Order: sequence, then structure tokens, then C-alpha cells
Amino acid sequence: MELVKKYTEEELILSLRQRDQQAFSYLYDNYAPALNGVIFRMVEEKELAEDILQEAFIKIWDNFHQYDITKGRLFTWMINLARNLTIDTLRSKNYKKQQKISADENSVSNLSNNYSGAERFDTIGLRKNLENLKPEQRIIINLAYFSGYTQDEIAKEIGIPLGTVKTRMRTAIIELRKML
Amino acid sequence: MQANDIISSGLLELYATGLTSSEETVQIQQWAKLHPEVAAELAAIEKGLESYAQAHAILPAPSVKTKILAHVSADKKVKVIPLHTRVNSVAPFWKYAAAASIILFISSAIINVSLYNKVDETAKNLDQTQQTLASLQQSNDEMKGSNESMKEDMHVIQSKYSEPVVLNGMGVAPTAAAKIFWMKNTGEVYIDASNLPDVPTDKQLQLWAIVDGKPVDAGMIITSSSGAKLKIQKMKTFSSAVQAFAITIEKKGGSPAPTMDQMVVMGKPPTL
Repeated sequence: MELVKKYTEEELILSLRQRDQQAFSYLYDNYAPALNGVIFRMVEEKELAEDILQEAFIKIWDNFHQYDITKGRLFTWMINLARNLTIDTLRSKNYKKQQKISADENSVSNLSNNYSGAERFDTIGLRKNLENLKPEQRIIINLAYFSGYTQDEIAKEIGIPLGTVKTRMRTAIIELRKML
Repeated sequence: MQANDIISSGLLELYATGLTSSEETVQIQQWAKLHPEVAAELAAIEKGLESYAQAHAILPAPSVKTKILAHVSADKKVKVIPLHTRVNSVAPFWKYAAAASIILFISSAIINVSLYNKVDETAKNLDQTQQTLASLQQSNDEMKGSNESMKEDMHVIQSKYSEPVVLNGMGVAPTAAAKIFWMKNTGEVYIDASNLPDVPTDKQLQLWAIVDGKPVDAGMIITSSSGAKLKIQKMKTFSSAVQAFAITIEKKGGSPAPTMDQMVVMGKPPTL
């Protein structure tokens, strides 16, 4: 077995600021599958998703100095970067958002069965726990996180007032946090 | 805005899921710098979503990493500076494993204690239940017994052959009364002694049948302190004609002849 160094988030950030390629390789191994999962659910196309993922990681490397630790966790920065890139790609390519993905949470859980990476996380146990999330809680997280919907679009999709999105999302994430 | 209001507003969740407007985003980043509690809450929310994304991860093709690393190694603008912070740090996996095993151990200890207490309590409950059951069984047996004797009594009273003879109070006990059920078919004599007076412990009530003008012993009435007097008692059998029945107070165990001045009740069968 290859000996792979493990980093804490602080060590990882510090190393990446020093342009450490080994740290970047580690970053990729641990976060690329999760980012790929998000991108794939937005574009619904394996090759396109991987193209965007590649572009995203190159941007992460090139623009790492832009990451501000006070504004949030590293993963949040990366996922926002990847999501924005995906939205831009979809717009430029005249893609239409496919509501099917977001609304149908089954497709999300089916897809996740193909996954077999990210050794840093107990994904199997976590996925089991996530089954306890109520469907409406899963859907609202998926719409924002996996489909890149705006608040407006989420409100329309679920059929709730715009002002309710905030409280719904909060409840859903509180439930999610209980399962970790 | 107070830190608590920010936290409960739901804005942090929207921010973490990329739903806030650019103004809101700037605002939230300021809040996070201003209030450590807000920053901590935001980090917890982000961690939650990060795990959510990890749970839904999809492994990309290996070629993606190759291409990215090719770009990275082509990057000549910067040189790699080795870090010293990495050495001697315990691998996170083992940290987690150790933490997890401690948590497991503690939880198992807690569970054991609580289970032990429960077992103890259950045993006590079982004990109590068994005692209750036993006492219920006992009273049930008693009920059965009294039910049986009641049935017997009813049979004596209801039988079409039973002929009631009312015995009325005499000089010694004017308010006393007794009833005899004389079975015409078998000659059996039963007495309902409920309304007979109590007698001293060294005395006993004795029933007499007057046959051919002479008193014949018809048996002793049991008047124990346990209340057996209440029961309808079977006395001696008389198939021949009886002119009258009488009860006298006699010494315990009975007398061969009645003490006439101690007569409690007397009555005659209806004339045939």
C-alpha cells in the first residue's frame, strides 16, 4: 500500500499557499469525487462533468491565493467555484437546466451508489444516516447544492413562498447536521 | 443584528448553499469576522454540507487527475517549499479511530450500567408480579370454594324436594330464627344457621328432631369463629315423620338429651 500523507485542513491550506504539488494531489483525491458529484448532478453528463471538474481544479490551483479562510471553509470555496463554473458553462452552451435531476431525489441516491472513493470520510455510514432525512429536506438541499437553483427557483419548484426558503433550508441543514 | 438573530435567521444556511445575493454575501462575511459565534455556526453548517457532498461523491475518471497534474507541474512560476509542519503528526485516521473507540467504550459502559439497572428493576417487577399472582390465585381458590358451597346451598334451597321448616325464637333467644330444608325424597336435613345467636366457646348449638314425641339428636351446628355458621349445614337424615325441630344450647360436643330451658328456636314441619 502506498503511503499517503494525511493533512488537517490548516496544513493543507498552508501547503497549497506554498504551491505544494503533493498537497494539491491530496486535495484532488479527497475532494474531486465530491465536487464531481455536484457537477455531474447539474449537467447530467459524465464527460462534460469531468471537463468542468478539470477546469475547476486548474482554477483552484491558479487562484488559490484568492481563497480567504475568514470567509468560510476550503470546501465551500471550492464548491462555489465549481458550481459557478458549471452554471457559466451551461449558460454558454445554451444548456437548459433539467428539472428532472433536482426534483427526483431518487436519481441522486442511485448515482451515489456508483461511488467508491474519498477514504477520508465514512461515506457508507453517512449515506445510511442521510436516509433518515425527510424527502422535503433532501430536496431543498439538493436543489440548492446539486442543481444550483436560486431562491426564486427553489420556491417555485417546491411551491412555497420565497420567504419560507430560508427557514426550510435552515431546518433541513439542522437535521443534516444531527446525522453527522 | 445580534449574533443569535443572525444564526437563527437562516441566512447562514443560504450563504453556505450559495443562495445569497452578492450584498448578502458581503454582509455575512462581515458578520462572521465580527462575531466568533457566527463564524463557528457557519463552519458547522459548511461541514454538514461538505459531508453531504462527500456522501454523494462520484469518482471521476483517472485521466482527469493526470491532466490537472500535468497543468500543475507545468507551473514554473513558483517553486515548492517543503514544510516542516507535517512531521510527527498523528495520522487523522488514527486520531479519529482512537476518539471513536473511546466514545464507543464510554457509550458501551453507559449502556451496560443502564441495562444492568433495568435487569435489576425487571427482576423486582417480576417478583412483585409473582407475589400478586400468587395472592390472586389464593383468593381465587377461596372464591372458588365459597362459590362451590354457595352452589350447594342454592341446590338445597332450589331443589323441588326441599321442604322448608321455619324455626322461631324461644324464651332464651326470642329474636333468633333458623330455617330447615328437609329433603322429602332423601330425608336429608339442612339448616340455615345464619340467624342463630352466638354461643360461648364452651357451648354449642344442637339440633333435635321430635320423633314419636321424643327428642332425637339431629346433629351439632358448627358455629366456629370463622363464620361457618353462615353456611347451610347438613345435619342428620330423617326419613320417618318428624313432628318438630328444635335447637338448644348444649355443652360442646352435644348432650344425649336436650336441656329444655336452653331452647333457642323451635318449629314444626307443615302438616302433611
